[in-house]
Amino acid sequence: MGSDPLLSHGISLAVVLIIVLKVLVAFVVLMVSVLLMIWFERKVISDMQNRIGPNRAGPWGILQTLADGIKLFFKEDLIPERSDRFVFKLAPYLSTIPAFLTFTLVPLGGVVKIFGHTTELQVVDPPIGILFLLAMSTISVYGVMLAGWSSGSKYPLIGSVRASAQMISYEAAMGLSIASVVLVTGSLSTRDMVNAQAGYFFHIFPKWNLVQLGLVPFLVFVIAITAELNRPPFDLVEAEQELVGGFHTEYSSIRFALFFLAEFMNTITMSAIIVTLFLGGPSGPDPRFLHWLWPVLWFVVKTIAFLFFYVWLRAALPRLRYDQLMDLGWKVLIPISLAWILVVAGMQINRLLGFGILVLSLASAVLLYRAMDVGDALNDASDVGLAPTATSGFPSAIAIPAAPGLKIVTRPPVGESSTSGGN
Amino acid sequence: MAQYLPILVMTVLAVLFAAGSFIASGILAPKRSTAAKRSPYECGIVPSSEPVERFPIRFYLVAMIFIIFDIEVIFLYPWAVIFRQLSNFGLVEMVIFAATVFVSFLYLVSNGALTWGPKRKALPIQDDVEPELLQTTTPAA
Repeated sequence: MGSDPLLSHGISLAVVLIIVLKVLVAFVVLMVSVLLMIWFERKVISDMQNRIGPNRAGPWGILQTLADGIKLFFKEDLIPERSDRFVFKLAPYLSTIPAFLTFTLVPLGGVVKIFGHTTELQVVDPPIGILFLLAMSTISVYGVMLAGWSSGSKYPLIGSVRASAQMISYEAAMGLSIASVVLVTGSLSTRDMVNAQAGYFFHIFPKWNLVQLGLVPFLVFVIAITAELNRPPFDLVEAEQELVGGFHTEYSSIRFALFFLAEFMNTITMSAIIVTLFLGGPSGPDPRFLHWLWPVLWFVVKTIAFLFFYVWLRAALPRLRYDQLMDLGWKVLIPISLAWILVVAGMQINRLLGFGILVLSLASAVLLYRAMDVGDALNDASDVGLAPTATSGFPSAIAIPAAPGLKIVTRPPVGESSTSGGN
Repeated sequence: MAQYLPILVMTVLAVLFAAGSFIASGILAPKRSTAAKRSPYECGIVPSSEPVERFPIRFYLVAMIFIIFDIEVIFLYPWAVIFRQLSNFGLVEMVIFAATVFVSFLYLVSNGALTWGPKRKALPIQDDVEPELLQTTTPAA
């Protein structure tokens, strides 16, 4: 099971100091990489769209993000009058803190000696490891949901309801694909997952989970993560054309900056988690000098590859429609990842058993396809386009409870008052 | 519990960072709030109805169905950790469990609980409507 050798032999002052040092380094690394990531994204996107992009602040515009951040400190912090003030102020914390905490799990390098203490190059290596990641990604859903709900405005509310439905949908697929990594590792610790991927097939191909698990969990995980991060092509949460800014429409100044920061921190952390789970983390060729540096370097190279991939997705793909998003999550990714984990489990025991389960899953896929057809037919037959109201008796819509602190401000309606939006 | 100490330190640091930013912004930012700034943003139109709108029941259904799958995922993790000890027994148990959940999933899907899309068979567009539509969408300039 995972445990940092630093913390296994009691806690002395030196140990506490090393912990604080590690946390500070991780914090600074994360902040600097967010600054660079935002610049990188803007620069790469500009290049893909035949623009120049930021090029004024610092060499190649590299300080642009810093300038934007400082500017936001000087902007007026508005709290809308209809908002629930406490929850409105709480929501940025709920978004930012999990983003910082998730990064602590990522193994950045090998084992090193600092001031005579052996320690792993990662902030924390708890035995529950990857479960902590799931917990944190669930808490950040609260941040998004409460931000939209407490704003007391239409677009943030719609954006946040969409966001929470999307994020919980893809969380199930994400959890199932991580479970298959846990299955071959036999441990929840991220360090153990990296160690389990050491070695080579036929002395050439690295024994990464990417290969070992047969690519499917990797693909499911990458897609699920993209949706979980609300990044294009899954950014329906902040679809500018219909929702202004989505859940953070009403946020300004530094509160908005914190949401933005959390979003990019999550992008970086999740790229790092992909590398950890499926690409062997810091493993790579080690040319016998500067022994501690190479794992870190390989890790950074792999992570940057995924960051580039995310930017590329944004430039290349149009946004999905909401029903396509939900169909992809529920009817494709979840069944596939559920079947695949059982196939992997079967293969672990016996090849024949594995193929047996594979055949069984294909048969269930046919069943699922038939069920989808029946469901769609019911939908087509019903009066309301959305729900099978006529047939199974669901109400088609129910109201969202108002924020308790909601002050209903009556304003003189412009022209004739209309309570029904009509759209 | 010593293994979790760095998480605590990081939490404290993150809270301090967020709170510090708010304090800094509170000192540096101007405070010239007006009624127009405080009102909900609706692209410049004065809001005429409450933001609490009726929402499609789909969203609630998804939240409920998610719980089924999340519970399944929660059961999968301890099983996956000790899978090597459980071996055949574990596999059979999990296949039965997964099949049970899958049957309930089939029921939900066949009931249309996860169907979001518009109706597949849209009404055919009548020919006499089309020129009229074209006329209205032609820009004046």
